[in-house]
Amino acid sequence: MSYQNKDNMRLAKKIGEWIDRDKVIKFSFEGEDYTGYEGDTITSALWANGVKVLGRSFKYHRARGVLSLANHDVNILVTDGVDTNIRADVVTLQSGMTLKVVNTEGGVVNDKKKIIDSISALLPVGFYYKAFHSPAVLFPFWEKFIRKAAGLGVVNFNYPRITQRKLNAYCDVLVIGAGPSGLSAALMAASNGLEVILVDENQQLGGSLVYDRAGGNAAKEMLDELSVKMAETPNIKVYTGSYAAGYYADHMVPIVTAKGITKVRAKTVIAATGAFEQPPVFRHNDLPGVMLGSAAQRLIYRYGVKPFNTCVVVTANAHGYRVALDLLNAGCTVVALVDMRAEADRDQYVGELARKGVKIYSSYCVYEALPSKSKLGVRGVTICPFDEKNGTSNTANSITLDCDGIAMSAGWAPAAALLYQSGMGVRFDNDIQQFVPNSLPNGIFAAGKVNGVYNIKQRGLDGMRAAAAALQYLGKSVETINVDHHQGASPSHFYPIVMHPKGKNFVDFDEDIAVKDFINAAQEGFDNIELMKRFTTVGMGPSQGKHSNMNAIRILAKIRNLPVEKIGTTTARPFFHPTPFGHLGGRSFHAHRLTTIHMWHKAANAVFVDVGAWSRPAYYQKSGLSRIETLQQEAIAVRQSVGIIDGGTLGKIEVCGPDAGLFLERFYTGKYIDQKVGTTRYALMLDESGVIVDDGIASRLAEQLFYLTVSTSNAAAVYREMQRWLQIWQLNVGLVNVTGAYGLINIAGPKSRDVLAKLVDIELSEANFPIGSALETQILGFSARIIRVGFVANLAYEIHMPSAQALNAWKALMQSGVKEGIRPFGTDTQRLLRLELGHHMPGYDTDGLTIPYEVGAEHALAMDKPFFVGQRSLQIIAKKPRNKILVSFVLPLDYSSEMPQDCNLVIDDGVIKGRVTSVSYSPAAKCVIGLAYVHPTQNQLGATFEIRTDNGSLAKATIVKTPFFNAE
Amino acid sequence: MAYQLLKFALGGEYKEPRFFRDCQTPKKSYDAIIIGGGGHGLAAAYYLAKDHGITNVAVLERGYIGGGNTGRNTAIVRSNYLTPDGVNFYDASVKLFQGLSTELDINLFYTNRGHFTLAHSESAMRTMRWRAEVNKHVGVKSEVVGTDEISKACPQLDISCSGKSPILGALYHEPGSIARHDAVAWGYARAADSMGVEIFQNTEVQSIDVKNDQVQGVQTNRGYIATGKVLSAVAGFTPRITKMVNLKTPIVIQPLQACVTEPMKPWLDTILVSGSLHVYVSQSSRGELVMGSALDPYEVHHTKSTFDFVEGLTSHIADMFPFLSNVKVVRQWAGMADVTPDFAPLMGITPIKGFYLDAGWGTWGFKATPISGKTMAHTLAHDKAHDLIHSFRLSRFDEYELTGEKGAASVGH
Amino acid sequence: MKLLNCPMNGLRPLGEFIYGGEYREMPNPNNSSDLEWASYVHYRDNAPGVKKEWWFHSPSGTWFIAERNTLSDEVLNTYLFGKAPFPKNENLSDGKLGDEKNTELSA
Repeated sequence: MSYQNKDNMRLAKKIGEWIDRDKVIKFSFEGEDYTGYEGDTITSALWANGVKVLGRSFKYHRARGVLSLANHDVNILVTDGVDTNIRADVVTLQSGMTLKVVNTEGGVVNDKKKIIDSISALLPVGFYYKAFHSPAVLFPFWEKFIRKAAGLGVVNFNYPRITQRKLNAYCDVLVIGAGPSGLSAALMAASNGLEVILVDENQQLGGSLVYDRAGGNAAKEMLDELSVKMAETPNIKVYTGSYAAGYYADHMVPIVTAKGITKVRAKTVIAATGAFEQPPVFRHNDLPGVMLGSAAQRLIYRYGVKPFNTCVVVTANAHGYRVALDLLNAGCTVVALVDMRAEADRDQYVGELARKGVKIYSSYCVYEALPSKSKLGVRGVTICPFDEKNGTSNTANSITLDCDGIAMSAGWAPAAALLYQSGMGVRFDNDIQQFVPNSLPNGIFAAGKVNGVYNIKQRGLDGMRAAAAALQYLGKSVETINVDHHQGASPSHFYPIVMHPKGKNFVDFDEDIAVKDFINAAQEGFDNIELMKRFTTVGMGPSQGKHSNMNAIRILAKIRNLPVEKIGTTTARPFFHPTPFGHLGGRSFHAHRLTTIHMWHKAANAVFVDVGAWSRPAYYQKSGLSRIETLQQEAIAVRQSVGIIDGGTLGKIEVCGPDAGLFLERFYTGKYIDQKVGTTRYALMLDESGVIVDDGIASRLAEQLFYLTVSTSNAAAVYREMQRWLQIWQLNVGLVNVTGAYGLINIAGPKSRDVLAKLVDIELSEANFPIGSALETQILGFSARIIRVGFVANLAYEIHMPSAQALNAWKALMQSGVKEGIRPFGTDTQRLLRLELGHHMPGYDTDGLTIPYEVGAEHALAMDKPFFVGQRSLQIIAKKPRNKILVSFVLPLDYSSEMPQDCNLVIDDGVIKGRVTSVSYSPAAKCVIGLAYVHPTQNQLGATFEIRTDNGSLAKATIVKTPFFNAE
Repeated sequence: MAYQLLKFALGGEYKEPRFFRDCQTPKKSYDAIIIGGGGHGLAAAYYLAKDHGITNVAVLERGYIGGGNTGRNTAIVRSNYLTPDGVNFYDASVKLFQGLSTELDINLFYTNRGHFTLAHSESAMRTMRWRAEVNKHVGVKSEVVGTDEISKACPQLDISCSGKSPILGALYHEPGSIARHDAVAWGYARAADSMGVEIFQNTEVQSIDVKNDQVQGVQTNRGYIATGKVLSAVAGFTPRITKMVNLKTPIVIQPLQACVTEPMKPWLDTILVSGSLHVYVSQSSRGELVMGSALDPYEVHHTKSTFDFVEGLTSHIADMFPFLSNVKVVRQWAGMADVTPDFAPLMGITPIKGFYLDAGWGTWGFKATPISGKTMAHTLAHDKAHDLIHSFRLSRFDEYELTGEKGAASVGH
Repeated sequence: MKLLNCPMNGLRPLGEFIYGGEYREMPNPNNSSDLEWASYVHYRDNAPGVKKEWWFHSPSGTWFIAERNTLSDEVLNTYLFGKAPFPKNENLSDGKLGDEKNTELSA
């Protein structure tokens, strides 16, 4: 039989099917054209066309077809040339799709890499830990091959940036899963007045009611009844085609929809998430044409596609019988039903199947699926008697049956990931061979199969029970509902694993892991479930163990001769399904702050730099000048005439009240209680370990009002710490952060007084307004605070005014300074200017461990005060020898070698003694000046030390006094 | 190589021995007990046996070996630290890593990728230069590079970061590598076991017996075990162990999270770190992007994931690689990092005789695995801290002698 | 995102808060030894358990104390520093966790 044989497998219209047969969709797959219907998934459309070889496995490149048709495996990953790793089983078919299978060489049918399968005996589990590394020099060579084999799809580097929006939603009850229990839970909760959100990953509601019909109509009728009620209930918001990605603290569940993520904050959560059907394990159980019973049912009833022409059903539960009846209903020839259980004949459907001519083999197993000659499909199956207790098969009495497919139903694994993430405790229920919730956190409930309830009527009731429990949790008075414990045969077989000497009996289809791999791993000592997972990689592929973890646990339990519950489960991390970057990242906001003068700077060709969240001019670009040349010109303007800088980003804090001075004395290192109104003082802030945090200026504007300026990047943190200490000290002080409310302009240079004087009514003379003065006045008709500062020049003024007025003030000052040649300057120039005056800057000339003694700030420490933050630590540190000290240095006037850079090291006799923190050519000093840490024994004026420059040459620096130039 | 493959093919029966014995019943006493069967504890056991001939040693692991931070980190190895002591220590670790596959006879997939710490601001560039200068001074290959060199190594990177925080340059650290983290623990376990060290899994230390400021033994769920020397190598569980001996430390436990994408064909050859964007990313030998971020913002002693982490991380990675919009994140997880105030480890002797600490690893534990094992083994054997770890002593906090790694530590990895 | 109960603003998402570290009683700087002071500055009560912590609600500028189980991350109580504790808010609970061992097994 040829595969990709293009038999038409489409059935006559099924009641309730999801496809619209009036809407034909054209697409291509592996270079050939096909048609499907609107509502098809990629896989269902291909299967309808008789195309069965749909993928290649990750490791051995084995041909793969449908396994779950439910995103519980990644057998079928395709690319449309734009996107990759598209999950064809669940992605809706679109017109014009041009699809190819990922990770093949030469197409899915003739994949050249299938050679790896034939040498798989060479590559047992973990082999790569034991190969390639010796001799070590050859590993890079092998690594190239290994890396080439790695990965699935090829990433498209031209894929557009997608920034999906995020929404928030709130509800009383979030019901996850819209099968019979989820629908019943949602309806019950809503009919009692709760706001409900119901989410299901499938395109339509109903869960297994859509497809698990046992050839009859009962399930469909139940679904219709529930659907009518849903339509009549307004307070249920339904998300279909959307999945709950994970459970996060305080009942936050992100719902991933096609259009983005909705973050649902629920008061209660009901997980009615169902169960994943698990494959029985036998040789060649991965061939195209071998699929889970539920997958066959989905093909039939959702998409009107016949799974097989002639098939065998292998089962170990009642579900297999239902599948057989559905297959018969779809016109498949069911050659045999092979039941691995000894007590198969008790099943309720035995009679019906027998009447329909299906031969039932009880206590038999599928020993192996027989590959067609091409190894691309099934030509038959070998079955033999099976002792389910010992898991042994009697091959002497094997029978071969011809068929083109196998449907498998041996059991389930609960889809309990979200419950695990919420903190559920589990127990193993032997009656149903399944882990079930033992304890659930407050507000979390489970219903249906995930809760161990399989009987169809009981599942609906279990949903209502969970809803009643949620109602009670929310304080509503409703009666408790009881649900019967499972009766009859187990829905899951305790060990549906058939050994075969030649292996290829796969447990994990993502990673091509067969039974022998587990046995070998255990033999090597990896006999803990987590170690086994890491060594074999079971469950670590893209489907995250949905179809493999339960069988792995059973196999390990058998190897170790322990009950399953002693093995435990592996952790279930988010996400439930892999989730795209574009969804998770959302719109990628980048917060930034601009001063009110920003647009002026922009128009003046400012080059901006980020300082914290703020954007500040670094300098103003002049055409034909380099950055360095521009900085120097801006600096010269300040030294010779007048410059102006926007300081609106600086932190500004008002400290007011009777205890304001006392508060500052405790918070900063200096003294403020005796500070005179109208003056400023330096403010140095330490942390409790004595390390420098920030510095600024405290201006006393009134007896009970201090106005603090602090550095831009520390403003929020300084204000925050002030608030904390204020709470602790309980002083009579008010704090106001006016950083954004006030603009700040600094004009500096010998002509700054003249420029400012034209705009204010106060006497700015040296005698009347010396350095360290501060006052409130009017400028341009609005109130402003003017502070005489000395950070960048000996004559300089800060003008603080409401931010809305800052641009006017700026323009007025620019206008006022035309004659003086006023020039705007940026932060890069500001750093040079303050360096010329010898001022160090926290964060620039200090690091996260710098203490005041290392930067010569002893003068700022009022150690005789009763207390300030960091004082006690300084008392300890003061007794210890210093390791380094910040000094001011110059290079020789004629220095012309490699220019030292910030962070070049101070080297003495081959040992690191310190580093340069600031260095620049100073047009005012006419030489290279800087600050550097040196060893304390080297800090005398006139002493020299060596700086190692980028090219390795040593620059000899001489320690000098500051300021570096003769001030005006 | 060919022999190893043939052995599997022709052997018929699978004859690979256990990596380490399944120890169940401890002896009454050991010369040393190591608490914690992660990479660090197992490495210490291995070097105790190999370098110092001390083989009467038990490793007690509460869960399974390598199940803590050894199996949760992003497997990056580098030595481009800020202080000479830090650089020397991690450089010694890198050198041990380079020969480790051969020494332990296990393929650790130690692959040299090169490591770029991206700088998005002038101040970040200054820190890069500082690190580069110190690295070069002690002989470690690190240098500040411009955007051309970054683009050459990683042409897919959007240097403008979607226009949001343009990259100005990077610290390039040539020896930066990745390794298969689990295999490091397994390799040390096998090698230590083969020299007589006994490894006990599912064995929890419940209390530590100290008399006259000298360790006497430990109480476990498998009974009391006498010993004069106990090494605590438990990373995020350190506070629980130090509490047993009433030892105060500055450690704070903060979760560190990571996540991984679906496998894709290899395209990212280098390891990229961005301090400003708080991300680091490399591509594993399986083809997955392995990504991490900064520490969680507050103390928690559990390993639950948060959605905030993955939202922030993917947003920033997408700024760097806009074409990843539809690539999917498969799984996120967390580990508990034991963070110190100066971002340097806490190693060596303690005021309690016979109680040794290997802790304070913050986010840098994996890359220190071999050297921490080696220096701690030395420290146990001589009851005196190895020279390489002098700066990392616990008493530095009493002495106000903190180590200066803080300057470069916003996001390190 | 976790929720936290600001004493002034009620339940707000964690992203609005800044963690201020463990609340520690400052020893009297005038009569504590150097070692005692170094211990106060550097060492922490770092084993898991219910701790008093500083938290800051950023949009409103509110510092407050939270009593939080650092093992389960469950907030038991929040109140302004120096103020009598509020009665426990039952809605805050995100479920009791067992000890770390149980959460490891099942989480």
